[in-house]
Amino acid sequence: MANAPSEEVAIVAYAQTPCYRAYPEAEPKMIMSLVNQILDEVKIDRHSIDFTMAASCDYLSGLPFAFVQNVDGYGAWPPVYESHVEMDGAWALFEGWVRLQMGDIDTCLVVGSGKSSPGTPREIFPLQMNPYYGAPLGIDPVSLAGLQAAALVDAGKATEEDFAQVVSRSRRDALDNPFAQVKKDVSVEDLLKEPYFAQPLREHDLPPITDGASAVLIARADKARELCDKPIWIKGIDHRMESNNPALRDLTDSVSSRIAAESLGIDGASFDLAELCVRYSPEEVVLRQSLGLSDDCTINKSGGPLCGHPVMATGLARVAEVARQIREGQGQRGLAHAASGAALQQNLLCVLEGGA
Amino acid sequence: MSLKTTTYTLEYPYTRTTGPVVGRFLTNLRDGKLIGVRTGGKVICPPVEWDPETNKTIEDPDYVEVGPGGTVKTATWISQPTRKHPFQEPFAFALIELDGCDTPLLHAVQASGPDAVKPGTRVKAQYREERTNAITDVYFVLEADATDQYIEPGPGEVEMTEHLISIDFEEIMAPQRLRFIEGLKQGKFIGGKSPVSGKVYIPSKGYDHIERVPMDESHEVEVQQTGTVCAYTIITPVQYYGQEETEPYIRCSILLDGSDQVLGQQDIRDIPVDEFRAGMRVKAIWKSEAERDTSEIDNRWGGTGACLERWEPIDEPDVPFEKFSEHVF
Repeated sequence: MANAPSEEVAIVAYAQTPCYRAYPEAEPKMIMSLVNQILDEVKIDRHSIDFTMAASCDYLSGLPFAFVQNVDGYGAWPPVYESHVEMDGAWALFEGWVRLQMGDIDTCLVVGSGKSSPGTPREIFPLQMNPYYGAPLGIDPVSLAGLQAAALVDAGKATEEDFAQVVSRSRRDALDNPFAQVKKDVSVEDLLKEPYFAQPLREHDLPPITDGASAVLIARADKARELCDKPIWIKGIDHRMESNNPALRDLTDSVSSRIAAESLGIDGASFDLAELCVRYSPEEVVLRQSLGLSDDCTINKSGGPLCGHPVMATGLARVAEVARQIREGQGQRGLAHAASGAALQQNLLCVLEGGA
Repeated sequence: MSLKTTTYTLEYPYTRTTGPVVGRFLTNLRDGKLIGVRTGGKVICPPVEWDPETNKTIEDPDYVEVGPGGTVKTATWISQPTRKHPFQEPFAFALIELDGCDTPLLHAVQASGPDAVKPGTRVKAQYREERTNAITDVYFVLEADATDQYIEPGPGEVEMTEHLISIDFEEIMAPQRLRFIEGLKQGKFIGGKSPVSGKVYIPSKGYDHIERVPMDESHEVEVQQTGTVCAYTIITPVQYYGQEETEPYIRCSILLDGSDQVLGQQDIRDIPVDEFRAGMRVKAIWKSEAERDTSEIDNRWGGTGACLERWEPIDEPDVPFEKFSEHVF
C-alpha cells in the first residue's frame, strides 16, 4: 500500500451511544459514559492513555466553547494531552493514527460527539458553504442531496427505486441494531408512495436528526496485543477533498473517494463488509461505484446513517461498527467510510482487518 | 410528560471584505449584470480567484458579461423551504448554465411547480428591488415569466458584504439545572455532592468531572448563603453588537461556604470598585419570592438569573489568599 503505516496500529476497543432523537443532558455526560465503558472493558486507568483526540462542532448546539466543556467527558484533571478537530471523529482517528506513527507513545483515545437536536441542521449547515456565493442562499445538505439525486437520475445512473431500495434494506437491517434510531420493515413499493421532499428525494431518503457519540481506543501493535485478545488492525487510512463549489463538480461521481482508494491501493472487491457514510440514499449509489465494491460485500449491516446520524460521530461510528462486525466474526476484512461537506465533498477511507 | 425546554438565539453579524474578484461580481449584480471570469479556456460564473483545475491565481482576470438567460442542467424542487432560503414558498435549487458560461451557477429558480424546472428549461435572471450587495440580489425565473427591469447603477465599487447569521436553538433543560432553578426560587443554593470525593459542585452538571461518575437528585445538597469572593473583573462595556451594558461593572466568582466550586458570573453593582477585593466575605440578599426571575438561566451558562438583590459584605475578616487560591479561575 502506498500509505502503508510504518507503525502498525490497531483498534483495541470501541463504543457507541444509542442514536438519540434528543439526549436530555449535556454532551460531556454522553462522552463520559463511553470513555468509562472503554476503560472498564480494557481494564486500564485513564491516566495510562497517552493521547486524546476529540471531534465536535460548537455550532451544532450553538454553544461557544462546547468543545472545552467536552473535555470533562474525556477527563481533564490532572491535565491531559489532547487535541481537537472541528470534523467528524473519523478525522480525529486519522490524526490519532498519524500521532502514533511517531512511535513515542502507545495509546490514543478517539471520541466524536454531537448534539444536533437543539438546532435546525438545515439552517446551520449552510454556514459551512462559501460565505459569498453559497451561505447567503441558505444552501443546505438536503437541497444538495436533492441535486445529487437529480443528477444521477438525469444521467441514467440511478432511479428512484434504487434510492428506495437503499432505504428499505437499511431500515430493515437496523431492526437488529440496538443503537439505531429509525428502524422499520418497509417495502420499496410503499416508500415510493410517499411525497417528495427535495425531488427526486423523499423524506425517508434523508437521515434523522440525532444526538450521539462514538469512541475508539487505538494502540501500537505490542500494546494492542497486551490490551485485548482480538485487535482490529488499521491496514490503511486516507482522506481526500474536492472543490467547495458543488457546481464545479460532477455530482454523479466521487472523485475524492476513488483517489483515496487508489492511494491505499485497495481493491473494492476484496472486502467482506463495509460501513459507508450514506446520509442520503443516493450517496450509496455513488460510493458503490467509486469504490468498486462487489455485490458480495455486506454494506451497512448497522443500517448506516440513514438510521441514525449523530453528526461529528457518524463517520467514527462506521469505524466502530466495522471493528465490531469483524471482532464478532462477520468478516475478516472491512472498509469504513466517513464523509464531510456538501454532497460527498470530502471522503475518508479506513481499511480494517482481524487477525493476530 | 412534556419536557421543559429553553430557547436561545445565536447571532453574529459578519462583515466581510470582498477582495477585487468577488467585489467586481457583487458590484455588477447590484447594477443588474452577471459576470464570469475566463480561465483555462472556460468561462466560470460566479468568478473565482483561482483556476479550479490548476489552483493557480488568475492573473489579470478577463471578465466576461454572461446571461441574463441560461439553461437548467440539474434541478431539485424544494417543497419545504427553510427560513434561510431565498424564497419562502416552494422553489427549485438548480445548476444553471448561463449563456456564455462553461460551468453552471448554483442558484434559486422561482416557478409554479417541479415540472416547470427540468434539465433544458430556459431561465432568466431577475433582480431584487432592494439589493444588498450579496449573491441574493439576483434570482431566476422561467424565461417566459421574466420581465424587463431597469436597474439604476449604484455608487462606487462594492468592497464589503454583510451577512447576519442568526440561528435559533431549543433544547431540553437538564434535570439537575431545573432543580437548581427551583432552589433559587425558594431562596436556596442547591449543589451536587460527589459520591466519591464528597466535594460539592454548584450548580451540578449531572456528573463529577474529576471522579468521572454520574450524579443525580440523590446527590444534591443545599449549601450556605455566605461565601468568599475568589476572583473578579471590572468590565468596561465595549459597544459590540448585542451589548446592553453602558457603565463599568464588576463580575466575580464566589465560593459559597460548604461548596468546592465557585458560583461564577456574579453581578456586583453596589459595592464601590475600589472597596471590592478577592478574599472579601459576602452573603446573598434575595429578592422577594415574587420578584425572582430565572427565565435567563439555561443549560449553557452559570449564574443565578435575576434572583438576588445583591451580595452584601459581611463583617468578618478577609480570607487569606492561600485558603482559596485553587479557586481563582
